[in-house]
Amino acid sequence: MTRVMAAEQETERAWALWLARLLVGLALLAFVGYFLVYTLYAVQLFRFPFDYDQGEGFELVDTILLSRGDWPYRDIESYPFYSSNYPPFYHLVVVPLVWLFGPHYWTGRLVTYLGTLVTAAAIGYAVYTPEGAGQGRPRKGRWWLAALAGLAFLASNYIYHVGPLFRQHLFMVMLETVAVVAMAKVMAREEASGRPQWAGLLLVMALLLAAGYTKQLAYATIAAVFIFLFLRRPVRAVVWAIGFLLVTALIFVGINVATDGHWLLNTVTANINEFIPGQAIGLFRQWFRLHTLFAVVAALFAAYQLYAERLSVYSIWFAVTLVNSVTAGKWGAGESYFATTIAASCVLTGLAFGRLLDRAEEAGRERNRLLPALTMGGVALLFLWQASLVFHMPTHTPLLRQIALALGQPAEVMLAPQTSCSAPRPAVPVPYVDSAGVGLLGRPPTSADTEAGQRIAALILEGESAAFSEEAGFNLYAGRDVVTNPTQLLNLYHNDAVDLTEMLAMLDAQAFDTVILRAQFYPLPVLDVIGQRYETAELIEMNGFVYCVMRSR
Amino acid sequence: MRAGLTKRQLGLLLVAMGVGAAGLLLAVDLLGAGRSAGIGPAQRMALGGAALLVLVGLTLLPLGDRPA
Repeated sequence: MTRVMAAEQETERAWALWLARLLVGLALLAFVGYFLVYTLYAVQLFRFPFDYDQGEGFELVDTILLSRGDWPYRDIESYPFYSSNYPPFYHLVVVPLVWLFGPHYWTGRLVTYLGTLVTAAAIGYAVYTPEGAGQGRPRKGRWWLAALAGLAFLASNYIYHVGPLFRQHLFMVMLETVAVVAMAKVMAREEASGRPQWAGLLLVMALLLAAGYTKQLAYATIAAVFIFLFLRRPVRAVVWAIGFLLVTALIFVGINVATDGHWLLNTVTANINEFIPGQAIGLFRQWFRLHTLFAVVAALFAAYQLYAERLSVYSIWFAVTLVNSVTAGKWGAGESYFATTIAASCVLTGLAFGRLLDRAEEAGRERNRLLPALTMGGVALLFLWQASLVFHMPTHTPLLRQIALALGQPAEVMLAPQTSCSAPRPAVPVPYVDSAGVGLLGRPPTSADTEAGQRIAALILEGESAAFSEEAGFNLYAGRDVVTNPTQLLNLYHNDAVDLTEMLAMLDAQAFDTVILRAQFYPLPVLDVIGQRYETAELIEMNGFVYCVMRSR
Repeated sequence: MRAGLTKRQLGLLLVAMGVGAAGLLLAVDLLGAGRSAGIGPAQRMALGGAALLVLVGLTLLPLGDRPA
């Protein structure tokens, strides 16, 4: 090769590298953009003092009860007819904020939001330090690939929708992710040193226990970790599984005794819900359509590890949680049930691309010097394509509106407010665009929504009693008792596990001055007596849903 | 010395789990423990999963003593 030819090749290589870096820069820009949108939505939610998602208020009530030293697993058949169906760990984490600042929605929303950032950081760390990800050790971590994998988790429509809510689900995902990444590192260190890493393994078990006592759904990740341990250290897996079960059972029995059996009834019996196959299939299709890159690459990399090298904990985690995502078809479940699978697929995609880039660099040194840059550019293009699949953006400010239009997206969608207890309403323009479809989640609440919530609370204060309300926020704002947890009552009613006599008698006697309905999640006998003894006095729209405020007939 | 399972052992385990799960699902149906008569859509999905488990297990058997 002449010196001129070598110089020409070097120029080509430099140009290709420059172009690849530009594409990586664009991909990072896209995902940082999603992160800013996510944070904007989160900040708007921190300032909103009512339920944004039905159920948030009940998580706040659980936190308030725990902050006073009371259990939220109570006798739901007696006034105020309240009990919780969620384990307490997440609420216990929020308790210090409630002690310090009072019972505000932002406390739990902030904790969950920060939890998603920790999850993203853990995903990035797993991609940046691929030890424990299978056979062979890539030579170096790539900060940009780690950043893309972590930010891609936050850019998922599903994570965006529920990430800053006062809900425990994504806090569970954080604990699961950190536990799995720790497991990978512990095993890698053990295999490298030849010495058992007891402290590390104990940390993994503590994180899994915390995840399980945040939300029951963590059982899939717990199973995945023990399957991995069984593949590598069968005897130890059995011994530690027995220990783990014993500790879990001990805590379970302890809480059950302390709550006179209400823990078992409310966290187990009330969670046996109808399975709707159509809902599960629809959500699987949507998840795949929105996360195609991660779904395909993660599945291919897991299959590669299954047949061509050793299975990593990440591959097992992805496979087990993907199968478990079928539980999204349960009544009351939804898109958030894919969150753990999304985290696992982000890790696997980052690791797979890291492996691909390593191979390209090896080949580039020996044969094609353009290959590393071409591969890097290809990976960046795939991330850009994935960014286009998850498009979501509020368009309530001129700048965001212009950005949406510049990206070839509509500036708003026409959508009718959701109704249940009132007549349908015509569609109105909603300043929010979402490739998952515009529903109730994702659009930042406005000052009009806050005023609507305050109006409902003012209507409660016109009466003497607490409102019989489908959401907790209005009574909390008005300083009245929180009465009922409708979905919990409905679940128990469907399982023939609740006696509604006292509640029906109070409604029949019009003991509540105000009844507030949203989606009519109460058991049928309750709705029946409400219909007979109360009538709609005012319809108020908040967060795209029409609430019915009812008074005695 | 290798402490973990081999690909063949993993394959056998998956086949056993798939067959066991399918047997359990059919037994539940035969004993009438399900909510409705016949194999429902949820059971069909679970049976499909069990069949997939058996299939994946069988493909692992020829991989022999390589670590799983």
